[in-house]
Amino acid sequence: MPSTNVVIDPLTRIEGHLRIEAVSENGVIKDAWVSSTNYRGMETVLQGRAPEDAHYITMRICGVCPTSHGHASSMSVENALEIKIPNGARLVRNLLEGAEYIHSHILWFYTLAALDYVDPAQALQANVADTYALAVQAGTGTSDFGAVKKRLENLVKGASNPVTDLSIFSNGWWGYNPLDPAEAAKAAALYAPMPPELHLIAVAHYLEAIEMQAEAARIIALIGGKFPHPMTSVAGGTAWSPNDDRIADVLYRFKKLNDWVHGTMIPDTLAIAPFYKGALEYGGGCGNFLAWGVFDRKDLVHENRYMPAGIVRASDLTTVEKADVSKVKEYVEHSWYTSPTGLNPQNGETKAIDSWNDQSYNLDGQYSWGKAPRYDGKPMEVGPLSRMIVAYVTGGDNNAAVKSIVDTALGALGAAGHPEVLVSLLGRVAARNLECAVVSDWTLEWCNELVEAKKGGTADLFEPYSVTSHASGAGLWEAPRGALGHFINIKGGRIDSYQVVTPSTWDLSPRDKDGVRGPMEEALVGTPIADVERPIEAARIVRSFDP
Amino acid sequence: MAEATDLYGRLAARGITRRDFLKFCGTLAAVMGLSQTAVPQIGAAIAGAAESGLQPALWINGAACTGCTESIAQATDPNVADIVLDILSLPKIETVQMATGEYAEKAGEDFAQANKGKYILICEGAVTTGIDGNFLRIAGEPFQDSLVSFATNALAIVAVGSCAVDGGWTRAYPNPAGGTGVKPYLDGKGIKTPVVNLPGCPVNPLEIIAVVVDALMTGGVDKVVAGLDRQNRPKYLYGSTIHDNCERRGHFENGEFVYQFGSQEEADNYCLYALGCKGPQTYRHCSKLRWNDNISWCVASGGPCIGCGNFNWVDNNTPFRSRMRRVHVGSIGGPGGIGVAKGMAALGGVVVVGIGAHALASKATHRIGKNSTLKNEDMKEYDAKRMKKGGSADA
Repeated sequence: MPSTNVVIDPLTRIEGHLRIEAVSENGVIKDAWVSSTNYRGMETVLQGRAPEDAHYITMRICGVCPTSHGHASSMSVENALEIKIPNGARLVRNLLEGAEYIHSHILWFYTLAALDYVDPAQALQANVADTYALAVQAGTGTSDFGAVKKRLENLVKGASNPVTDLSIFSNGWWGYNPLDPAEAAKAAALYAPMPPELHLIAVAHYLEAIEMQAEAARIIALIGGKFPHPMTSVAGGTAWSPNDDRIADVLYRFKKLNDWVHGTMIPDTLAIAPFYKGALEYGGGCGNFLAWGVFDRKDLVHENRYMPAGIVRASDLTTVEKADVSKVKEYVEHSWYTSPTGLNPQNGETKAIDSWNDQSYNLDGQYSWGKAPRYDGKPMEVGPLSRMIVAYVTGGDNNAAVKSIVDTALGALGAAGHPEVLVSLLGRVAARNLECAVVSDWTLEWCNELVEAKKGGTADLFEPYSVTSHASGAGLWEAPRGALGHFINIKGGRIDSYQVVTPSTWDLSPRDKDGVRGPMEEALVGTPIADVERPIEAARIVRSFDP
Repeated sequence: MAEATDLYGRLAARGITRRDFLKFCGTLAAVMGLSQTAVPQIGAAIAGAAESGLQPALWINGAACTGCTESIAQATDPNVADIVLDILSLPKIETVQMATGEYAEKAGEDFAQANKGKYILICEGAVTTGIDGNFLRIAGEPFQDSLVSFATNALAIVAVGSCAVDGGWTRAYPNPAGGTGVKPYLDGKGIKTPVVNLPGCPVNPLEIIAVVVDALMTGGVDKVVAGLDRQNRPKYLYGSTIHDNCERRGHFENGEFVYQFGSQEEADNYCLYALGCKGPQTYRHCSKLRWNDNISWCVASGGPCIGCGNFNWVDNNTPFRSRMRRVHVGSIGGPGGIGVAKGMAALGGVVVVGIGAHALASKATHRIGKNSTLKNEDMKEYDAKRMKKGGSADA
């Protein structure tokens, strides 16, 4: 086994369970291993069940992106049974998925990732009046900064021990006590040197974002009944009937979110990014990008989706290829499975090992419950960065909105005309937030399109169907965190086999049969680590994938 | 409630008035089966907790989708920040906590040591016991081992969501990871810490808050435990079915059913029973509590209930689109029936009224087509046969 000197387990503030190991030499990561540490057996549980039941069961794979799993599952059944969903259902699904994206991206940036870049302890030093001035200057939202600061002070005051008794912030400074004058500077050095007022703005918005992600989830609840685990995107269309009142309610909430994303989330991103400009230099990873595409247009063609399907290889931002699912194979040489390696997921198998011993976790052998999917033999990054790059390179009228917002952001970062800088840690972070703004704009269009479709009689919601006894299909879609494939084989009217290739399967992939690292492993390589005992830089890379 | 100014101040800063907060307390009162005269006491209990030092708690994730953490993040008044900053001291909740890696582990372990016998342990996700618990390893150890150590020193355990209660979907046939619930696992280890079960997929944040308020108001865990049913669920949360209080119930009584998604009947909010709605046999409060700040719930949006709060809900409720073939009138859950419901008479009534409707329900199977999950047997005949047997037998 290689001798690693960086270990992070559990990697918190993600969905699920993850272990990271790395070798850092002279302050830079030379090699890395990503281990998914949980197996639940979803694909096996589905066997023998009714095809349309998979919609409800598979969304329980992920409580953050259940909407996307539900859509991909229904699409796999529709693909198998050759069902074309009607126009009204297409729009309702886009609205539901759009709310999921806004929810997930806000939750990711503020609730999950922000504490890697923003320090609540330094916010305590902020001057409240200056904070308002800075917020206005940055063009971001103001809130009651004085009250937020007081709230932090109260929390610190009430704590019996400032490190171990600080509720969710306990021990958050990698063992340092930021309130002890002797250690405060060391704790602060974990972060880029931003003014305390910017920390306070970000902490205030960290709290405000809780309400905003909940507002987006309320739209999912209006359309889908509840969040998590909405119920209405059934195979064949949607079970939600959008009357005028309901559409108005949805539109009102989307508008409120649109204001906040453009008025707070994007300005926050652009205010914090310059302090982390070094993160444009590393964390890019494998440079191969895959998108199955998401948000259908009328023709339901994947390459024409609002976020189009496509492949971009080797960081070559001049060429996009058609994404061909038959080129996907999953390898298990380094995964805890005994099923055959190198299978296309449509014919995939998932059979877990049946015993465990001290040697089972072995970085030279098997070390993850994740498989290693490869496209045409190559690891592929998936997620907002992939989607934005594929859309940007595809170009044309359909992708004008993406091109425009990316070019604006590049200008703000002083990298106008150099989209290749996006293939980096900071690029991955920025891509997600920019995508949130673009999708938020589209949700308003879809509401209006639905109103018009209803007037024009083109808003049917469901296409009746029969389950044939033998059929196979794939549902190719995108969860907020990346390309998602559900693959179903129906026999005797029941699920004969079912495979799911999640975004995390791609991004958190272990090595493949040739020992080639997965995208996150590759992104970790080259990352500077100031202190192997406190590898916050590695945590930033990992969380930038929204695993 | 002068002592509560801080909480009200913070709520006001988020645009939530004292009146909104009391309305929320009113919802809780309804959920908890209390009279509206209890509203001020509920308000005082929450506000008082916010002032009198935080209740120590730890939140641990087993084999979970994180949906129950997501669910509590959707709580509104108080929201999740109020909960983790003003009501609970929660140094361990993997999805939210600031610390990571060994520092995160240490935050939880040190806190558990310092608060031995005082903290509430909130568990999300299944215990996957296969291959000696190694289907889930955290910090290099099987999750089930750390569950035992945290559970041993806890004041009480709240198992949130169906996975933590009985294994949820992970324990569905053939249960590939050996999934089970927290209480069954701890029972097997002889650990006696009381467990409050809150099944559902996911848990409703109001269910968690109701339990906390219950403990605050009754003055202790013992009282809460005394109010549990035989499945360790608070009686006030799981004592009636979805169907009992369903907003579409009137259409059920009239025999007005939705036969196809996207139909006019659906737009008219007809009853979803013919599409397999499991409301009549699901003991949960969704039709009253609703979801996401009271905004909607599955049935209101057109999604038939899939019974996610039932025992072994995936095995017992699938195929979801079929009317249940194994409804045990008067018992909770499915095969292997657990406990006897007090609402026996009410559920009997459902079936009697249902009979008149089932001619229509059988029509539904033809409308949808040769759907494999809806066998073309005559449901009316099926019901008649079942009623002759006294309303309790399987077909």
